[in-house]
Amino acid sequence: MSASLVIFSGIAVLLGLLLVWLLRDQGKSRQTDGDLNSADEFHATYFPQVRRAMSQEDLAFLTLRGSARLSRRVRKERQKIALAYLTCLRKDFGRRWRLARVIAVMSPRVGMAQELSRFRLGLAFCLRYELVRFKFVLGRAPLPDLSSLSETVSKLAVRLEKAMNELGERAALATELASTLNGRGVNPR
Amino acid sequence: MALASSVIWVWALSILLQLALFALLFLKGNFRRLPVLTTYVALNLGQAAYLIVLYSGAGSNLRFLAWSSEAITLVFQALAATEALHLVLKPYPGIWGLGWRALGFISAMLLAFIAKHTAGNYNWALLEADRGYHLLFATAVISCFLLIRYYSIAIPVAYKLLLAGFCFYSCTMILTNTILQSVLYRNFAAYEPVWQFASVFAFALVQAVWLTALWRPLPADDRRHALPSDEIYQRVSPVIDERLRLLNEKLMRLWKKEVRPQ
Repeated sequence: MSASLVIFSGIAVLLGLLLVWLLRDQGKSRQTDGDLNSADEFHATYFPQVRRAMSQEDLAFLTLRGSARLSRRVRKERQKIALAYLTCLRKDFGRRWRLARVIAVMSPRVGMAQELSRFRLGLAFCLRYELVRFKFVLGRAPLPDLSSLSETVSKLAVRLEKAMNELGERAALATELASTLNGRGVNPR
Repeated sequence: MALASSVIWVWALSILLQLALFALLFLKGNFRRLPVLTTYVALNLGQAAYLIVLYSGAGSNLRFLAWSSEAITLVFQALAATEALHLVLKPYPGIWGLGWRALGFISAMLLAFIAKHTAGNYNWALLEADRGYHLLFATAVISCFLLIRYYSIAIPVAYKLLLAGFCFYSCTMILTNTILQSVLYRNFAAYEPVWQFASVFAFALVQAVWLTALWRPLPADDRRHALPSDEIYQRVSPVIDERLRLLNEKLMRLWKKEVRPQ
């Protein structure tokens, strides 16, 4: 079998499969829009509760007063909570990442370098998130760093929501201006 | 030059479908919105008539004459796909600009790859050029689809089917050209009818899909989403990127750190 046959047939099949995937995946993008609408649901604020749940003092107390078995059980349950929190943190990040793309879509000019850099950052985040999650599954949870992570997500959310509000105000102003001009029989274009 | 009966039948079907599509473009008034696609369909019909005349005679440079007519339709194929893409991305000038720059970069890379891979293969020059074109074209359409999906931009079904039809045809041509060159030519004496049937059948299939896509009138083009200036993007984007970078660094630290007692 020649190299040409393998390379070009492979490319053609890959392109065909990509085409099918892109045509079939319409529902997922709609779901993404739905996620954007629930932007007020923000999980990073629950960090104090998660920190409390992961407290070593509680576990030490349980081992002392109860039993090692009970302590282990509680530890496992709390670990599940921390994992759920980490998942929610990723959702928060994803929502903000998508909001950034919405801003790009609405802009009349988009910087290629900036967009590429953000895409790369999103990919890197997904990869690192999986690594950190794996660390949590193994029970090696560095809580102070998780605190710093949720703080960063919170700050990003505040900046983005401010920008989105500004966008909304401007869009409303533009609509108002257009309707006023139309009302006077003036064509704005 | 005699064509196989199966090829003649599928070719006749393809011409019928093209005629129906051409009529539909005028009946539904879509030719106003898609003038380049209408020209492309008309050119294909003209090419079919030209090839019928050509194949009924017995010229010495038949192959060259047939392929030169193909070059014109291929140029219009690219223009018609660009027209459909422009209609999809017109309300988003920023993304349209970004798409153009990205496509330029991808095309340059692909051209270099194709040139390197096919250098010196003069016996198959026409087929290699055709395959290279379709490879470039299909990759460009897929890249645009990916860009559209990444930015969650909605595509009207008619445009989606038009672009998908173009892309499907190009993928089929890459595959059939490759199989012809690497397998059929060496192992089958009657390799030409197989290649002709496969390529004409794929084209007829695409015409059928386009007929269903253009059966209804195209959606009204009243979408205007872009803001008057890119001030917000210029101001907010670097801040977001900086925050995302910081977040990534923190995640990395979280990964690298060893367990510390709380």
